Amino acid sequence: MHIPDGILPVSVAVGGFAAAGGMTWLSLRQIERKHSDPRQGIPKASLLTAVFFMASLVHIPVPPASVHLVLSGLMGVVLGWYAFPAILVGLFFQAVMFQHGGLTMLGVNACLMGIPALLAFSIFRLRGLLGETSRVPNAVLGFAGSFVAVALGALLAALLIVATVPAYLDASVERAAVTGLLAAHIPLGVIEGVFTAMVVLFLLRVQPDLLKESL
Amino acid sequence: MDIARITTLIVAMAFLLPVLPVQAAMAHGVDVTVTPREAVEVVASFDGGDPMSGAQVTVFAPGDPAEPWLQGTADEEGRFYFVPDPARPGTWEVRVRQAGHGEIIRLEVDGSGIAGTTGTGLTALQKVLMAAAVGWGAIGTALYFKRRAA
Repeated sequence: MHIPDGILPVSVAVGGFAAAGGMTWLSLRQIERKHSDPRQGIPKASLLTAVFFMASLVHIPVPPASVHLVLSGLMGVVLGWYAFPAILVGLFFQAVMFQHGGLTMLGVNACLMGIPALLAFSIFRLRGLLGETSRVPNAVLGFAGSFVAVALGALLAALLIVATVPAYLDASVERAAVTGLLAAHIPLGVIEGVFTAMVVLFLLRVQPDLLKESL
Repeated sequence: MDIARITTLIVAMAFLLPVLPVQAAMAHGVDVTVTPREAVEVVASFDGGDPMSGAQVTVFAPGDPAEPWLQGTADEEGRFYFVPDPARPGTWEVRVRQAGHGEIIRLEVDGSGIAGTTGTGLTALQKVLMAAAVGWGAIGTALYFKRRAA
């Protein structure tokens, strides 16, 4: 779901930057409101940005396609409102270093991963109702949030791509290819869901405060 | 051979024609010329190394970025061949696209030939080093803010 340069029209790129700017502003405002010292969350956000940055290099073969880890759900679950700026920074480095997603598409890509991350965060917050310290709700909500984040991100990317196929291309071929790639993201969502659940259970055991801070 | 016999032969052949339509079609003159030319080979793969088999390839001639000059599909190995028109020197554009993944490559074609380009394929070691550099930066940032907070 990293969209490279030259695939989407310029208007979409501009809209993506505008939306990403708004989301960043909203996230920073929420961080300022909810944390007495916003700097406290930065070490955690910084380390997870590094994990997010490297995750896209991990390719997972889902025959016939090959997908890579996204970890947007994990970012949302563990970081909360810090997730959007963290994803923005991670995507910037991916674009500059590995040409993974275009720089002009940075805004679009940030929305494609950052907004599902915030959705994963709000799903994971339901643990407040189901039992914050018990293992099962934490694991299940971590899994669900992460799965939904991957699925939603892939779906939004697919819709954007299919809606803007240039006239000179064979739209049906492109649609079939996008559908195939979209299907490959379902097992990826399961893998990331399990991974997020494992991370959540681990943090719950060794450092439950790290999960609490995001609330 | 006198005229009458040749005429008979022609008439006989004319009668045979409808009976053997396939052979008649094959008897049409065909002229095959083989000329070696400088072609362009496009090899497209995902950065994970898998070939972009079946990717749509569009070639744009210089000065006409809106109208495709050639349209085709890459083969199983993600390869695609075409011969740019030497009469149209300038920057040719090749766009490869599949499932929202894609790349635009520019080729310089002039009277003397075609200047090839290679994608920025990074080696595994380069990738690991770059990832480690960014990771180290992130750890440094984390340590810095942890210290300030304490």
